[in-house]
Amino acid sequence: MAALPEPVASLIGALSKLPGIGPRSAERIALHLVQAETGAVKQLAQILVTARDRVQLCAVCGALTEKSPCAVCSDPRRDASLVCIVERPVDIISIEKSGTFRGKYHVLRGKISPLNGIEPEDLRIAELEKRLAQEPIKEIVIALGTDVEGDATSFYLAKRLARGELKITRIAHGLPAGTGLEFADELTLSRALEGRREMP
Amino acid sequence: MRMHLSHLRLRDFRNYARLDVDFAPGFHLLLGDNAQGKTNVLEAIYLLATLRSFRGVGSAQMVRHGQKGCFAGGTLVGQGDHEVKMYWSARERSLSLDGRPVRKLTDYLGVLRTVVFCTEDLQLIKGTARSRRRFLDLLLSQTHRAYLPLLQRYAQTLRSRNAMLKRPVPDPLALEGFSRELISAGEEIIRLRHELVPKLSPLARLAYRRVSNEAEELRIEYAPSVKRDFAVELAQSHVRERAYRSTLIGPHRDELQLLLNDRSAAQFGSEGQKRTLAIALKMTQAEYLTGIHGGPPVLLIDDIMGELDVKRRSAFLPLLERIHQSRGQVFMTATEENWPQELGRDVQRWVVDKGVLRKAI
Ligand SMILES: Nc1ncnc2c1ncn2[C@@H]1O[C@H](COP(=O)(O)OP(=O)(O)O)[C@@H](O)[C@H]1O
Ligand SMILES: [Mg+2]
Ligand SMILES: [Zn+2]
Repeated sequence: MAALPEPVASLIGALSKLPGIGPRSAERIALHLVQAETGAVKQLAQILVTARDRVQLCAVCGALTEKSPCAVCSDPRRDASLVCIVERPVDIISIEKSGTFRGKYHVLRGKISPLNGIEPEDLRIAELEKRLAQEPIKEIVIALGTDVEGDATSFYLAKRLARGELKITRIAHGLPAGTGLEFADELTLSRALEGRREMP
Repeated sequence: MRMHLSHLRLRDFRNYARLDVDFAPGFHLLLGDNAQGKTNVLEAIYLLATLRSFRGVGSAQMVRHGQKGCFAGGTLVGQGDHEVKMYWSARERSLSLDGRPVRKLTDYLGVLRTVVFCTEDLQLIKGTARSRRRFLDLLLSQTHRAYLPLLQRYAQTLRSRNAMLKRPVPDPLALEGFSRELISAGEEIIRLRHELVPKLSPLARLAYRRVSNEAEELRIEYAPSVKRDFAVELAQSHVRERAYRSTLIGPHRDELQLLLNDRSAAQFGSEGQKRTLAIALKMTQAEYLTGIHGGPPVLLIDDIMGELDVKRRSAFLPLLERIHQSRGQVFMTATEENWPQELGRDVQRWVVDKGVLRKAI
């Protein structure tokens, strides 16, 4: 039986490492690309490289941005005394869409996940502690999902970050259990932000 | 509320290449020699109800030899009609209810309720505490919508917490975070089990008395791993759980005690008593579900009738009578027609022969 040419096989291998792309989709995409018009493929490659080159993480909050610090971090109209902790950069987008949050953000880049070997030290917590020392932060809103790991991480953060007059609240309502923020619609999110409750 | 399976469709399921059959409410007797496919039909019905095999095997074994995947589907008549379709292969699994994919298990379970009586039931008595916990869990999942997600959450917390205990030095604060989750889900499970068992106990005592030839008294008792306060006892177990590197206290360590005249049935019961007890527990399950839902579950009775004497068989009478009156449904298998007349009013007979099911004439 004739096998696929080696470059096609390695393209399939590379594509199937991408999130959400299984071996079958990888094969379909690879076969499409190697038969597509050369110009279109070159353009796609260029777009990939440009996107990767131009996007970086905000050195302050961890959001995706072209310029660091990001637009939110450098916006003087945003309430610098209020910081919302989210799991991933994309969570910022859903909260921004709800249009009710006027503070700043901090991306944790994950949550404590013993089954995946993710420990507190793997998260951007030290960076947040540094911000607490430098910025005029009065309140922290923890906006993690309400699955087991989200809840355990929220508890951990509330304890670890507790200091002086700092108020620590948690988005408590509306987010369906077991889902991250990206599934929450704008209405439930804005209601959730209004209904945040203080953590013990 | 009464419910029955009005149509069953199988493709490449066990030894059925294809099966399309209509079932009326009432009693269905599946007759045939050994290894013809009688139990396979009950297995398919149970699968539609619970998404599991009662033989305790994975779905791969249900695919007909030499085929890639199997299909099981059916029409369920209860509160309105429902169409269930299930496809399973190594690459793909899908489940749909009324043409829409099922996303959450809790949206699906309860569409069809079944109670199965089979020889594997003996594990309820002889097996480890896990099989008795599963008995409680199944009952609670069939009667409380919130129970299954709760159980899943507990199981996930337990796995996370155990993974953490395996580390050389678990972060104490992070461990506390997972302990709190374990305690809050665990306490709710314990509470629901505490509520359930005293309701089952009188039903079980009656059922046992009916099935048994002797005069022993059956008592079932919940023996939780947590005696008073989960948080306190979990904290007290800390040194031991660090040594064992796993969570030693909680509902995953609960036991359901089965006592005949106050002595452990597993340890002191005779073989016959254990069998009787297994049937009594399943009857209890059926009675309890009937009471809660206002209609009986579909009963799947595999083989066991043949092994029972007349007295024990007649213990099924009240339950079957109730199902008959409420136009419920029962499927029974037997190798030959030794079904006593007193049970067999209006029995619809089927013959199973090498993966083909047809009406007996
Ligand atoms: N995956 C499978 N593919 C094909 N045949 C199967 C499969 N699993 C079991 N069988 C066949 O099904 C028959 C057993 O069916 P079963 O319903 O247990 O019989 P019984 O009528 O004794 O209850 C056997 O002939 C067995 O070879
Ligand atoms: Mg059989
Ligand atoms: Zn920023």
